[in-house]
Amino acid sequence: MNEFIEQFLLEARELVEQATDDLLALEERAADANRIDSLFRAFHTLKGAAGIVDFLAMGRALHAAEEVLSEVRGGSKTVSPKLVNDGLACVDQVIRWLDEMQTNGQTPTNADAAADEIVRRFMAEANSLADTGKNAPDDAELGSWLKRLCADRGEDVAQSRSAFCFRPDAEAFFRGEDPLAVVARIPGLRAVDLAWRGMSGLENMDPFSCAVDIAGLADATEDEVRATFDGIVGRLEIVDLPDLATSQIPPQARLVLQGQVLLLQEGHLEGKAGRLAAAGRVASNVLRHLGMVASASEMDAILVECLADEDAAKLAAAIENVIEEKPANQIAGSVDSARPNQIPASRVLRVDAARIDALVNLTGELTVVKNAYGHIAALAQSGAEPKDIVANLRAQQALFDRLVGELQRAVLQIRVLPLRQVFQRFPRQAREISTNLGKPVKFVTEGDDTEADATIVESLFEPLLHVIRNAIDHGIEAPARRHERGKPPTAAVTLRARRHLENVIVEVEDDGGGIDVDRVREVAIARNVLSSDVVAKMADAEVVALIFAPGFSTASEVTGLSGRGVGMDSVKTAVERVGGNVTVDSRPGQGTTIRLTLPFTVMMTRVMTVEAAGQVFGFPLDTVVETAAVAREHLVSIGLGRAFVLRDRTVPLVDLAASLGLARSAQSGGEAKVVVTSAAGQLGGIEVDRLGERMDVMLKPMDGLLKNMRGVAGTTLLGDGRVLIVLDVQELFQ
Amino acid sequence: MTVRLDDDGTIRLVNDCPAEDAESLLQLLLEHPGSRIDWNLCRGAHTSVIQVLLVASRAPAGSPPDAFLGNLIGPALVRSRR
Repeated sequence: MNEFIEQFLLEARELVEQATDDLLALEERAADANRIDSLFRAFHTLKGAAGIVDFLAMGRALHAAEEVLSEVRGGSKTVSPKLVNDGLACVDQVIRWLDEMQTNGQTPTNADAAADEIVRRFMAEANSLADTGKNAPDDAELGSWLKRLCADRGEDVAQSRSAFCFRPDAEAFFRGEDPLAVVARIPGLRAVDLAWRGMSGLENMDPFSCAVDIAGLADATEDEVRATFDGIVGRLEIVDLPDLATSQIPPQARLVLQGQVLLLQEGHLEGKAGRLAAAGRVASNVLRHLGMVASASEMDAILVECLADEDAAKLAAAIENVIEEKPANQIAGSVDSARPNQIPASRVLRVDAARIDALVNLTGELTVVKNAYGHIAALAQSGAEPKDIVANLRAQQALFDRLVGELQRAVLQIRVLPLRQVFQRFPRQAREISTNLGKPVKFVTEGDDTEADATIVESLFEPLLHVIRNAIDHGIEAPARRHERGKPPTAAVTLRARRHLENVIVEVEDDGGGIDVDRVREVAIARNVLSSDVVAKMADAEVVALIFAPGFSTASEVTGLSGRGVGMDSVKTAVERVGGNVTVDSRPGQGTTIRLTLPFTVMMTRVMTVEAAGQVFGFPLDTVVETAAVAREHLVSIGLGRAFVLRDRTVPLVDLAASLGLARSAQSGGEAKVVVTSAAGQLGGIEVDRLGERMDVMLKPMDGLLKNMRGVAGTTLLGDGRVLIVLDVQELFQ
Repeated sequence: MTVRLDDDGTIRLVNDCPAEDAESLLQLLLEHPGSRIDWNLCRGAHTSVIQVLLVASRAPAGSPPDAFLGNLIGPALVRSRR
């Protein structure tokens, strides 16, 4: 995948999310001007981005949408439900294209039909009002007046010293100004172009408003042209046409290049990347066309650099250098060596600059500490008292310790993201589910600025989507039933997050019928989840928790949404994989709350080390209840397993070496060393050879081939360079 | 009147057409869309008048005595139709 497409995908996904967010907000409040602006910007920037990667079909579709939105923005049209639907349909299509590009690494080639469909939707929208005629020139096209002006005017161009474009103020006529009369005074005027930028059609025209762009070629210097326009209100652009006789770049090409420089010099931020890429590509194509292949390649390299830095000035300078026939790399001398490494898109993390600053500060402080050690070494060399050196060392050690602690926290902060990143995708999903099921739902998110580790945030989408689907599909009663129960016709589903100590709590609450305990009992028995006498003895709360049991699904009707045979057990599995757990709270007739309790960070873990079969292993300390020495005669065999009694409770015992498939070491002495652990509320004993120490480690999750290895939570490096394998206690007992 | 509709159905611009002529010209063109436009006698036209011609996509017939209109604005109006 080339870097344009990578960058494009990254940007486009953010824009798509923004657009969706705005569309949904506009559905609630159609007149929200900020949202309309933001939506228009999102579509506009997306269109520009599509241009960068030469994805014409997408550009066309977005252009159609943008047209209609620009009318909404101008006040000549309002946001209708149809417009929101069309907008969402367009966004959906864009997402499908993005997904395709992500997979194939190139722009889809069969996108035209889908693009036509989008264009058709929006054309129907646009036709519902007066013909808006020719489009006002887009910002991005402003540099193109030069191209138009010079087309087929080779001789005039060759004999002119400057080209200009003047856009008079709209009120010019009221002030008694006559812009063309001013233009007529320009010395050596050779050609004029007029471009109308108001609404087309005489019937739409306001004869008192000035809306004409006047461009021209003149055998006058830039200063002379500027002087002529002195005192007239309007926007003036002048391009100095060089003495062409000595140049190896033909005048047409030179003008195109100058057009790009003009384009780059406009200060708007909107669509900046698109503009940069377009200008750079045009410049490089022109050079290639002229046979200046080396310069063209240089231009490409500079473009990549400038895109990374969003530095339009640098690109403009490089193009100007080419025009003036200096080597392009005068500006870009360092480009090749400094070209950034390509980063795979999926691993990019957006980090608040303040957090990076904190790291920079800490690095500074660490340097100070490092220097102090040099000073202590010098002291030792000069024969200072060992006592003084030790005191010095201890002081520095304390400082060092504090700084490393802070550094660790700062680094972890980098991985922390607001839950908004995943929450913002749900309003759209909820809307769709509720529409499909014919159950009106008001979906509310709360606490979306709550933060959690990136791994957690990224892992939440699937399980939460499933929970929300269930809430709307099964939790909320059919409209008729709600009416009977005297509930408002629009149901409420709330997605809520908050920080609680070291945990992040995410809840999905609905005001539906709650979980039908009797039905759960029936289903559990019918599907052989549990036997009938076991179920009969269970308390209601325990029965409700059965919805998380594998193979359980209460939907009596299999809908297209939930009930695809993937039950809440998949939610449970997904949440437990990142170290969390799920509970359910059901209030019959009033609603259900599904609560996900997740660790704030998956990275820092307190572990306890043990030894078995000559190897060191770690247990997450939060699963260790205590350690015990149990006399061997108190170990009892139960079937294939063993157990022991701890304070009147029978606790199953596994041998760590044996359960990991390692050679069991000779059972020494009269006592077994046991780590008593708690997993999923159950106590369990693990026999080890030796108990180690406690430490805080950065746990690195298993990846690659080892990703799904059972029983292992992750690895970390020990102080002596050995790898410490940290075990997942729960899986050891399964 | 510096902008007028003659009996032969031709809209004529004569002498120096001021800003106010834009509205008259616009009205004439709306009422008689197919009319010929002639500027053989035009010695000058305000930007607002030229603007109406531009929107109407019409280049008047004839060669006005004013060189700026004849050599530059006329061709510009023709070009703008492309």
